[in-house]
Amino acid sequence: MLHRERIPLLWFFFQAVVVVAWCFTDMETGPGAGVSTQPNGDRFKIEGRAIVPGLKTQDWVSTARILVEGEEYVGFLRTDGSFAVNDVPSGSYVVEIVTPAHRFEPVRVDITSKGKMRARLVNYIKTSEVIRQPYPLQVRANGPHTYFMKRETWGWTDFLMNPMVMMMVLPLLIIVLLPKVVNTNDPEMRKEMEQSMNMLNPNPELPDVSELMTKLFSGSKGSSKAGSSSSKGTRPAVKRR
Amino acid sequence: AMARLIWLCLKCIMLYSTVQAVFEDQVGKFDWRQQYVGKVRFSHFDSHVQSSKKVLVATENNVFASLNTRTGELFWRHVDKTGPEGNIDALLQHGQDAVLVVGNGRLLRSWEINIGGLNWEIVLDSGSFQSACLVGQQDTVKHVAVLKKTIISLHYLSNGHQKWIENLPESETVDYQAVYSGGNGEVYALGVVPHSHIAIVAYSLEDGEIIKQVIQMYTPWLSNIQASCSVIDQGVLTCVDSATVSLYMLDLHLQSQMTQIPLQLYVQAFLKKDDSVGYRVIVQTEDHTLTFIQQPGRVMWTREEALSDVVTMEMVDLPLTGTQAELEGEFGKKADGLMSMVLKRLSSQLILLQAWIAHLWKLFYDARKPRSQVKNDVTIENLSRDEFNLQKMMVMVTASGKLFGIDSKTGSILWRHYLNNIPSNPAFKLMVQRTTAHFPHPPQCTLLIKDKDTGLATLHVFNPIFGKKSHISPPPLPQPILQSLILPLMDQDYAKVLLLVDDQYKVSAFPSTKNVLQQLQEMASSIFFYLIDSSQGRLSGYRLRTDLSTELIWEVVVPTEVQRIVSVKGKRPNEHVHSQGRVMGDRSVLYKYLNPNLLAVVLESTDLHQERSFVGILLIDGVTGRIIHEAVQRKARGPVHVVHSENWVVYEYWSTKSRRNEFSVIELYEGMELYNSTVFSSLDRPHAPQVLQQSYIFPSSISTMEATLTEKGITSRHLLIGLPSGGILSLPKMFLDPRRPEIVTEQSREENLIPYAPELLIRTEWFINYNQTVSRVRGIYTAPSGLESTCLVVAYGLDIYQTRVYPSKQFDVLKDDYDYMLISSVLLALFFATMISKRLAEVKLLNRAWR
Repeated sequence: MLHRERIPLLWFFFQAVVVVAWCFTDMETGPGAGVSTQPNGDRFKIEGRAIVPGLKTQDWVSTARILVEGEEYVGFLRTDGSFAVNDVPSGSYVVEIVTPAHRFEPVRVDITSKGKMRARLVNYIKTSEVIRQPYPLQVRANGPHTYFMKRETWGWTDFLMNPMVMMMVLPLLIIVLLPKVVNTNDPEMRKEMEQSMNMLNPNPELPDVSELMTKLFSGSKGSSKAGSSSSKGTRPAVKRR
Repeated sequence: AMARLIWLCLKCIMLYSTVQAVFEDQVGKFDWRQQYVGKVRFSHFDSHVQSSKKVLVATENNVFASLNTRTGELFWRHVDKTGPEGNIDALLQHGQDAVLVVGNGRLLRSWEINIGGLNWEIVLDSGSFQSACLVGQQDTVKHVAVLKKTIISLHYLSNGHQKWIENLPESETVDYQAVYSGGNGEVYALGVVPHSHIAIVAYSLEDGEIIKQVIQMYTPWLSNIQASCSVIDQGVLTCVDSATVSLYMLDLHLQSQMTQIPLQLYVQAFLKKDDSVGYRVIVQTEDHTLTFIQQPGRVMWTREEALSDVVTMEMVDLPLTGTQAELEGEFGKKADGLMSMVLKRLSSQLILLQAWIAHLWKLFYDARKPRSQVKNDVTIENLSRDEFNLQKMMVMVTASGKLFGIDSKTGSILWRHYLNNIPSNPAFKLMVQRTTAHFPHPPQCTLLIKDKDTGLATLHVFNPIFGKKSHISPPPLPQPILQSLILPLMDQDYAKVLLLVDDQYKVSAFPSTKNVLQQLQEMASSIFFYLIDSSQGRLSGYRLRTDLSTELIWEVVVPTEVQRIVSVKGKRPNEHVHSQGRVMGDRSVLYKYLNPNLLAVVLESTDLHQERSFVGILLIDGVTGRIIHEAVQRKARGPVHVVHSENWVVYEYWSTKSRRNEFSVIELYEGMELYNSTVFSSLDRPHAPQVLQQSYIFPSSISTMEATLTEKGITSRHLLIGLPSGGILSLPKMFLDPRRPEIVTEQSREENLIPYAPELLIRTEWFINYNQTVSRVRGIYTAPSGLESTCLVVAYGLDIYQTRVYPSKQFDVLKDDYDYMLISSVLLALFFATMISKRLAEVKLLNRAWR
């Protein structure tokens, strides 16, 4: 309850403002739909035309219906795409064109007790807001219904562009290609590299964490303290010999 | 506005990550639709083109459709409003045009029958419709005449404009019933003064002037021209007097004395329409089956139109196969010696092995054949449960009293059973008394058929798998039945006990064996039930006594002059709730109020004025009668659709003030602590639950609503909403959550709450039936399957649609787009890579050793 109360209050206020402004321009606010249907009251006709761009009318009219306020009044489309819903009493109605294949925007049609018609955009939140639409209705389909989700397709580019893959592949390339490009056996080069590594390591006195761990676990068998980690790369090869 | 936009964006992001939808390649994989038209009132063969394959039907369900005579499928179908305003009074056909009179003579419509579009529609003058006919002159039909109680009018066939309209003479005394034109420029209106004489008025086609007016002929036997007379060629009126079995003939042009021909007549009441080319007949039988028969008595197709009016349904698990049942049966039997047990086990294992080999062989055999030739015909013999229990038997009860057993996988009708003695105004309740789980006892369903006028009821007990009537004779029910309830008690044959309460508040049990009565006596003090009398506005709760009489324990009276009880909804007995509470953002738990006895009572005001009408919801405990909560929506009216499940009630109503449909959700919580976590008792719950409520705008009216249901209740819930457009929307329950915050906080984000937005969106991606629209959805039935992720859904109305939904996606099976190729190729590639690299490493080592 608590959650409900606040927002409606705001709307009431906003609506009140809109309604007051609106009442000056238009007499009829279109009272409750369908409630006041006297059997002898005047009945009116909602007319319009539905257009599906790029399609012949006979291909889709047989699957279409005009629904006025749900299924309160039902109309059908003529072979040329026009329609008329007869026998509608005065009131305010949401007119929808429903077909399984095409999407049409609903329109609100207000009918005064004298039979004056007006069409406007449907706005369920600000119900009294008026954005005029042409009457007789001209409703154009804005594309087919999208019923289906796209399957996630799998492609090589998706795979390669994946950040995880990039993170894995780039270091691999460096590991594989760098020793080929740079000759590690050259002592000058080696010295240079060691220097650059030392520069990267801010405090050479501080023991490396991994180094510390291996020492801790392997006990006395552990390797002697090495100055830099760059020498690691060559050591296994030495062992293998 | 900005905030709303952000909300919307957030919402969209949430949606993409949480919501399932249909994929295009899933179309038709596990769903099917059957389209119906209803009981046929008029039909016409399209005979203007020799090769035409069309037959036009207009039905009592206000449907006008064109059927393919070869297959019985629909070319097109137009579904009008329900009720008298969409009622089709007459169907005439000329060439490519079909003229319909709709709504008791209110509308005249002309359809183009090839494409199924409207030619024109006009509103006729008021007056009760009597008859209509096509009016031609020298073989060209240009007009249509409409006869009403007091007037006759002539319209152009091309555009519907009225040519002339005339009053009928002496319409106070003469009952004009038929109109006829013979193609000679005259239109005849035929009337009758009951039990006295026939009156015939001839009008000129050109201007509607009365040419002739004849009142003569003593016909005391005739009261209804439409029923007993017809005009045969050359303008001869032929009438049948069934009392004396005589045929009367009258030439309309000559107006000679009526001649009487005594004749033996056998009127085939179900013969709808005959065609002259050889013969083609559409037969509609009493059980609403439409059969098309051609030339040498060959049945081309049948349509079970009774299925256009399904009243209630149940889904029953299929039985195990014979071999599986054999294995099951082994445990059911009493033990007789170790050796024979071992032998029995070995033999049943052998049978299983045999069946498995046969299955493998069939798979192999089918795989060699082209795919199109492999047909898996489902027959009643080879029905068996699949491994995930996704295939079930749909037992459907139709308004005509015909029962159907439909295979849920394919939609084929496996059995049908027509009940003859159905009252004219029936109410049905279908109950499953014994499922297929109790082999060798056959499953058992019981249909309670109640005459709404008298309240008298009968029981029909049958086997839901084969449709056969059970040999168990149900007890006679001499008293009107007020309430029926299925108890969780079982008799020694594992049939659940059905209790029936009659208008003397006496209770009878079915089955009523000694065992059952004894169990009932023991349990009586804990069996409660409620009765609703909506005309008195009374809801009352009763308790069972040990002598099977009842005792009133509570009563709630709603003042009927202010409001009336529209519906009462309890929870579904087979519903499981997996989690007892919800974890809050601060890691505390908000416990749900899970009262299995809670009833949601919907009230509507009797005053329908838009300022004063209201809709109310009462939450009542069905055992104690305690009103747990009361909510009122002012300036609202029905129809109210309710779903009541777990700890929530969702209802939808029409807001008369804002002229829109609104949803409201009530959720009940016990609080941060659970009073008694082991067992729930209505009698021992001292604390009232916390109630949260929130409302939303829904941009469409709805036809019906139901919640998804899964086996263990772990999967998140969705609401399935049938829309008038024919779509079935699967709306996640998390959008209808009263804890949706207006302002997003860290905690609400932690809880995955969607920020509050006043309007719920309808997205076509959420339509579970994509473009397979279901006309006039009246009910949605949901059933759990063997997979926790999967819920079986059947929507019925004019059409029937069956599908599966996965509210939390398919988390317990591999998705059907699972890439077997990729995973196996990656594995293979890795395998070869290790092989190759191993080899390379060896070579390298060797080389180094040589160095």
